[in-house]
Amino acid sequence: MPEFVERGTLRTMIQACYLAIFAMSWDVLSGRTGYISFGHPFLIGIGAYSTAILSKKFGVPPEYSIPLAIVITMFGGLVVLLPALRIKGSYFALVTLAFMELMYQLVQVIRPDLTGGTRGITGIKSLTRGAEAGYELAVTLMLGVALGLWLLMRTRFGTALWAIGMDEDSVRGSGLSTTRLKTMAFLVSALVAGLGGAYYAHYTGSLAPRALFDIDFLFTIIVAALIGGAGTIIGPMFGAFFLIFLLEWLRPILPGAERYFVYGGVALILYMYQPKGLVAIAQSLRDRVRGDNYDHRA
Amino acid sequence: MTIALEVSHLVKRFGGLIATNDLSFTLNEGESLGLIGPNGAGKTTVFSQIMGELRQTSGTICYFGQDIGGLSTPERIAKGIGRTYQVPRPFSDLTVRENIRVGLMPDSLISMIFGRSDQSKENELGQSVGFSIRDLDKSASELAMGDLRKLELARTLATGARVLLLDEVFAGLTTGEISMISDLLKDLRRRGFTFLIVSHDLPAMEPLIDKAIAIERGTMIAEGVFSDVLANHDVRASYLGDTDVGS
Ligand SMILES: Nc1ncnc2c1ncn2[C@@H]1O[C@H](COP(=O)(O)OP(=O)(O)OP(=O)(O)O)[C@@H](O)[C@H]1O
Ligand SMILES: [Mg+2]
Repeated sequence: MPEFVERGTLRTMIQACYLAIFAMSWDVLSGRTGYISFGHPFLIGIGAYSTAILSKKFGVPPEYSIPLAIVITMFGGLVVLLPALRIKGSYFALVTLAFMELMYQLVQVIRPDLTGGTRGITGIKSLTRGAEAGYELAVTLMLGVALGLWLLMRTRFGTALWAIGMDEDSVRGSGLSTTRLKTMAFLVSALVAGLGGAYYAHYTGSLAPRALFDIDFLFTIIVAALIGGAGTIIGPMFGAFFLIFLLEWLRPILPGAERYFVYGGVALILYMYQPKGLVAIAQSLRDRVRGDNYDHRA
Repeated sequence: MTIALEVSHLVKRFGGLIATNDLSFTLNEGESLGLIGPNGAGKTTVFSQIMGELRQTSGTICYFGQDIGGLSTPERIAKGIGRTYQVPRPFSDLTVRENIRVGLMPDSLISMIFGRSDQSKENELGQSVGFSIRDLDKSASELAMGDLRKLELARTLATGARVLLLDEVFAGLTTGEISMISDLLKDLRRRGFTFLIVSHDLPAMEPLIDKAIAIERGTMIAEGVFSDVLANHDVRASYLGDTDVGS
């Protein structure tokens, strides 16, 4: 397939794959448990910066720097966010948002010789040659993450996370330690965010802190998960592709930040029509055609 | 006789309000105790303290001789205490079966991820409270009050509870459902389960309990055989004007 599409489209597809990975990562934690994370750029940033610094400044080959970056993301994220997981709902969102901003400030003041300060890092070693290979890698990663998460969410662990999103006290009342469950969900989410961030850094070859630790980036991740259908695996992927292509299509018409208003509007309308997202809309259409009962799962 | 639950000098304050006022009682293993009192008397608050969902201001709660005051709710449940909620709290986007499954899950990540769910155990629990196999695949959001109470009970039994705290098991049920739940509870009593039951439906509760305590504004006002408790002057006074009596 890649041979038939234009290079620009291929780049857009690659963007969509990475966004899908980030949206799945967000969804495993926030879409399931209802603990809304505003800090995913923070996690993705740890992964991206770790592999970039390790490979560029210390000459660590990517096959080591990427796994290391993932581990750093998981534990770095856990150390700062574990206390936040014990507090409920909106506080969690606030704390994670604060960390995203803090990270932006930190990369500028702490060891700018390593992080590149405001200018970021350029010349990060690429893992692939050419757009086709980059595309294949991105698709493989996305599908690998999707499969892994799908298998994990089919287990009783997945059911329990979902139950937390519905009534956390009742999950405790069923004898389960919810802090432990949320911590595990967080670790899985951070693993995927770190992996996506690290590979993304090698794909783009450069990191710009203002673009990474940014509200636009954050909202793109969340909107992708929500409009596709939170609490599913296919939903965030679907949403990511929909959003990236929508933005791409709007680019010539609305070159500036107004585009984000448009997708905000589209997201809102979709959400009012079907809060469970595009996947649920597609399913109910299919079921209507086949005359089945409506089922909300994917 | 072994004492299953011993509550001593329990006090719970919410700011200036004393919701539990120096309450003490014991519950023997295999016994069933009724807890009655008008609205706002503090019955649910006692349950929440026994489960560790609320920390008591002072006093102790012992379970088979062990002070459980320092244990978390899941740790208490692991010991065999379970409660149902006055307002049922199902996981509404899950099926009945999945709701029961959450109750059955051991509190271990490894077995939650790598272990399998036990379908036959889920069927058995679901059927024991009166669900048909078909009902088990219904979404909990479709259930009417009677079925929600059954689900509440099934999920609590699924945790392996041997001491059951039941908060308003009969509220919102039809007479048919009341006798069905009542039969189930009688059966569980024969099998040695221990009960602490809260109900405003005094006639329905009567055949299910060995003795009763009455509280008003957190304070115990009577204790003993149910008919004596009901005949007690203070209990009658506290229920006077309470429209729920005997409903
Ligand atoms: N979390 C809380 N914070 C403050 N006050 C509370 C809290 N929970 C309960 N109360 C108060 O404590 C008192 C006892 O409440 P509780 O729910 O235990 O009564 P109850 O006997 O279960 O009543 P009902 O028959 O209506 O269920 C009430 O006055 C209630 O308003
Ligand atoms: Mg109550």
